[in-house]
Amino acid sequence: MSSFTATQEATLRAVVDRIIPPDDHPGGWEAGVGNYLTRQFAGDLAPLFGDYANFLAAIDAIARRLHGAPFAALPTATQDALLVQIESDAHGDDLARFFAVLVTHAMEGYYGDPGNGGNRDAVAWRMIGFEVRG
Amino acid sequence: MSAARYDAIVVGAGAGGGVTAAILAEAGKRVLLLERGQDLTFTAIGRDHLRNQRLSQYGNNAGPDLDGHPRVAVDADGRERLVRPHEGGYQNNAAIVGGGTRVYGAQAWRFLPDDFRMATVYGVPTGSSLADWPLDYAELASHYERAEWELGVAGDGAASADLLPRERDYPMPPLPPTAQSRVLRRGADALGWATTPVPLLINSEPRDGRAACIRCQHCVGFACPVEAKNGTHNTLIPRALATGNCDLVTGATAARVATDRVGRAIGVDYFDRDETPQEVRAEVVILAAGAVETARLLLNSATTREPTGLGNGGDQVGRHLQGHAYTGVNARFAEPIYDGLGPGVSIATLRFNHGNDGIIGGGMLADEFILLPIIFQKRYLPPNLPRWGAVNKAFMREAYRYVTDVKGPTQEIPHPDGRVTLDPTVRDRWGLPVARFSGATHPETVRTATFLQDRAREWLDAAGAIQTWSTPPRPRLAAGQHQAGTCRMGDDPRTSVVDRWCRVHGHDNLFIADGSPHVTNGGVNPVLTILALAYRTAEGILRAW
Repeated sequence: MSSFTATQEATLRAVVDRIIPPDDHPGGWEAGVGNYLTRQFAGDLAPLFGDYANFLAAIDAIARRLHGAPFAALPTATQDALLVQIESDAHGDDLARFFAVLVTHAMEGYYGDPGNGGNRDAVAWRMIGFEVRG
Repeated sequence: MSAARYDAIVVGAGAGGGVTAAILAEAGKRVLLLERGQDLTFTAIGRDHLRNQRLSQYGNNAGPDLDGHPRVAVDADGRERLVRPHEGGYQNNAAIVGGGTRVYGAQAWRFLPDDFRMATVYGVPTGSSLADWPLDYAELASHYERAEWELGVAGDGAASADLLPRERDYPMPPLPPTAQSRVLRRGADALGWATTPVPLLINSEPRDGRAACIRCQHCVGFACPVEAKNGTHNTLIPRALATGNCDLVTGATAARVATDRVGRAIGVDYFDRDETPQEVRAEVVILAAGAVETARLLLNSATTREPTGLGNGGDQVGRHLQGHAYTGVNARFAEPIYDGLGPGVSIATLRFNHGNDGIIGGGMLADEFILLPIIFQKRYLPPNLPRWGAVNKAFMREAYRYVTDVKGPTQEIPHPDGRVTLDPTVRDRWGLPVARFSGATHPETVRTATFLQDRAREWLDAAGAIQTWSTPPRPRLAAGQHQAGTCRMGDDPRTSVVDRWCRVHGHDNLFIADGSPHVTNGGVNPVLTILALAYRTAEGILRAW
């Protein structure tokens, strides 16, 4: 598997933490969504790695163009606003579609079973009250 | 080398195949039970929330393998799509010893008396192939009872005795009610609707050398950690093997039913786990591969005598494919309705299965299994909730224990163009033509489903829901785990594939023991009917032997 550039990785981390922001409970990255994705890129999601890299580069470029700073360095409110624009097609169909895909993957990492590499120590399940007994 | 010989070959070790193998083996017949899947352990089936029979996002936990088993789905506009076993439109059911019964939700409903006479009760809607069964509820009642007692059902027979008359109660009491079912009971009581505990093929007390249900959270879609869930894999198939008369061969994929020069079935040709072709011969052949694969097998067994497939002289094999249109309503309550006690489904009403003014048929409505958190995120969010961000996360946190749904299987109105055919070009790993699906359900199914969705909302409102949401039913092809109808039962070979004993017309030693013969598929889960019919068919085979 190829790997992301440092900038792409920082962008991914920032996006994941806007999809599932930290609050009283861990955000997406702290809970292991990145780890989930790394594992998936070596398996089911391997064909999408290039699309991920392109998407991350594209939204970082938009951030630099509109706000003069890398996506990961923007205030979270600005990151949210930019992602809302992307979601609503303001920057083209392809980015909107891929963002929706990234959201579903982030949710799988966060709310799926820890055996898939995310949801570290079942933090997401504890947060919502899903308890595994038996 | 001469082919191995048996008295009977059963293709498919699921619900119907397991029953048939056991009854024939216990009667002293030498039986070969072929299963394309494996006999997986609980650990091998696992608890992967992204790869299971309830959510097959990236794979299956109970087969079939993702590669080498494609199918083709044709949509309403005629567009073809190649689909793999975990993808939408594949109409998958488990490929494993026990079949669907290994990982099912285990609802153990009998069809209602009017389910066997739909055409008489409702007439035949234009464009449909709605028809009566050639047998009635009374004829199947003792076989239902046998299935309930030999596999083991927990339920309360008195609660539905007015609609489902029975000689004998279930062998076990129902599981105790959940918080969710108490809230829904309150709503039903306010509406004056009768309810019943959902009968389950699950031990509510230790039985048959196996434990009682431990109320875990991974029931539907997964294997049971204590074998309290009763399938053929832990009841009938072990009984068959214990006789010493039954050989179970896993990893065995049937390629064709072999016939002699006059068309009589003489055995089965299959590929073994090493992909080596094998030929076995027997006096009787029973197909129990599910409504999709059984139809495909008959079509793939064409001969010069029957060039369009065995039993297909009336061009009926593969037609009338049906399952269930599932419709329901999601609801949020002010109080927590989640207590974590599995399996979750607990309370139902049969009030709307029939007798709905101006509606054809109907269906059962019940509460929900425990929802995996990722399924909740993917399928249970209200329409206007942001799909990401702080508000989404807060909803997950604040609503998971307060949201459920009421839903159920709408009785489908069959029609001849909902069907399985052989794809003209796509082949499986052994070079055999694969199943190709076409046709959406009849418009009357959608009308019935819409009616039931309104009743579900009425129930949830009466129970105190503070918010409800749903998506309107749409016409689609629903086969999947409830697949049925592709080898319809009837007296006339021009309009059916098997006779009232599930014997393929024109083939006195070829039988079917899965959902394929179902003329209609009821408005409840079909497995108990598949089991009951298999008992009746096996008994009939023995009587005529």
